Amino acid sequence: MSQGFVQFRTLVKREILRFVRRPYNTFLPPIVTNTLYFAVFGVILGGRIGEIAGVSYLQFVLPGLVVLGAISDSFENSSFSIFHGRWNEYIDAVTVSPMSDSNKVAAYVSASALRGVITALLIIGVGWIFTPVPASNPLYLVAFVIVITTLFGGLGVIGGLWASDFDYLTVMNQFILRPLVFFGAVFYSLDVLPAFWRTVSLFNPMVYMVNGVRYGMIGVTEIDPNASLAVLTTASVVVVSIDFLLFRRGYGLAD
Amino acid sequence: MTDRPALHIEDLRKEYGDVTALDGVSLTVPEGSFFGLLGPNGAGKTTFINTLVGLVRKSGGTARIFGHDVEDDYQEARNAVGLAPQEFNVDRFFPIREVLEHKAGYHGIPADEATRRADDALKQVGIYDKRDTRFDWLSGGMKRRFLLARALITDPDLLILDEPTAGVDVQLRHDLWELVTDLNDRGKTILLTTHYIEEAERLCDEVAILDSGRVRAVATPAELKDRGTDRIVVELRSPPATLPDLLTGDDRVEAVDLDGHQLTVTAREGGLVAPDLVRELDRADFEIVDLEITRTSLEEVFVEMTRTDSDDDESGGDTRTQRDAADAASGSDGDDSPPDRQVASDGGVL
Repeated sequence: MSQGFVQFRTLVKREILRFVRRPYNTFLPPIVTNTLYFAVFGVILGGRIGEIAGVSYLQFVLPGLVVLGAISDSFENSSFSIFHGRWNEYIDAVTVSPMSDSNKVAAYVSASALRGVITALLIIGVGWIFTPVPASNPLYLVAFVIVITTLFGGLGVIGGLWASDFDYLTVMNQFILRPLVFFGAVFYSLDVLPAFWRTVSLFNPMVYMVNGVRYGMIGVTEIDPNASLAVLTTASVVVVSIDFLLFRRGYGLAD
Repeated sequence: MTDRPALHIEDLRKEYGDVTALDGVSLTVPEGSFFGLLGPNGAGKTTFINTLVGLVRKSGGTARIFGHDVEDDYQEARNAVGLAPQEFNVDRFFPIREVLEHKAGYHGIPADEATRRADDALKQVGIYDKRDTRFDWLSGGMKRRFLLARALITDPDLLILDEPTAGVDVQLRHDLWELVTDLNDRGKTILLTTHYIEEAERLCDEVAILDSGRVRAVATPAELKDRGTDRIVVELRSPPATLPDLLTGDDRVEAVDLDGHQLTVTAREGGLVAPDLVRELDRADFEIVDLEITRTSLEEVFVEMTRTDSDDDESGGDTRTQRDAADAASGSDGDDSPPDRQVASDGGVL
């Protein structure tokens, strides 16, 4: 086993253990939140809305909620872990180690992506309680979930390195991420929007993620899934490359 | 042992905007030595150390650890270093044994070996029974011990200890001294920063005095003490009416004062000046009742060296540097130290 692999595996393990050992902070919140979403939007309001795109409202919103949970948690995982390590300076143990910068980035991003995937599975599990969960295009579903959690794990690395206070994390999550998701066609179809707002919506990257996952689950999409996957994969590569450059420069880690 | 020094630093600089933290530091730490870095608060000691391990990016100059550049060959350089920092920067999410296992893993040590080493390191510093405790629950002394264990777990060739005994009780301080002395005896190079002069004097083969980001001196503690001024106090049977003309032409003598029966000579290398003084007093028919030599302490030398700038700024000249430069030119210092440890960053030879 190469030294580099041992280093990577150690940091990944550390990152995974950090969130696995704190389920009340990491896994319980999305379960509770999504149970409430399904109860309110699906059961209480959904019955009045009827079908959208040929499926029940609950099945229609499920992919969006999966995306919301997955990207929130993958982003939060890397941003919090890195920022908390910087705040308490214990990330120095990683910084002063001989581990390569690429290994560090790969470890933080992959552990965060894993947390996003687990959250996605938990939300699907909760959804299953309320409605049958189809998987019309399972390979697309897997591909989209992996790509978007990687993308947001990578964005979380940037956030964690950039933040200089806990407020920054809140700002990123609550005031940037969440509005984009809510206006990303999670709870509605783009078809119901006026032409202008539909065009504006296409500039929101969340629309592509939600539609991609929706295509994987219920086989319905308003945007070509291959184009979405290509754009999101490119974005992930760009973001992870930025992560690597930031680590190489010691941004947020070295004075 | 290799022929490469543990540390070779040339003209190392670090600036934070207008503030210069390291102002051309040059020094060499031989492999296997116990090297002390002394300096007042804000002297640049921690910045210097952090530059070596990648927590600070240098503005200029070069720094090599066992021949590996700290930026170009950072992986090799960092693999050779174990750092026990001043701050308690320990992962609070995990029990201390796991923190050590992670640290070992970051250095590429496989899991089984990492666990064995973690246990060994905790036993070595005497906190093995706390292995499943989180860092926050340790006492202050245990925390210091843990930082040392973390620095040791990778079996580094260069151990850097940044104020390792700050705030610990006397017993623990002596335990730590014993431990690091043993490590040094077994071949580890140790770089120690400390405020405790006694600690440097007791442990270090060589010390560098750092002040305002510049190396003021690099020498053995004994050599440094020789550079300080000793006091020879002579009690005379009969007080002379005027100050006798003594030790003229001896450039080691800085002052001769008379106060009643008591004659005080301030001089470098007081132990060597005293016999000459006794002979001259004898020739001049002064009867000596008592003689006492008070040797300068390393602490006094340290204080003298680190306060010179402000004093000299007021007087308009750096007399110490002038004296050092004169010594360098004449070779009159009597110092047979290797040249590499005498070069100071300010261009003087100390």
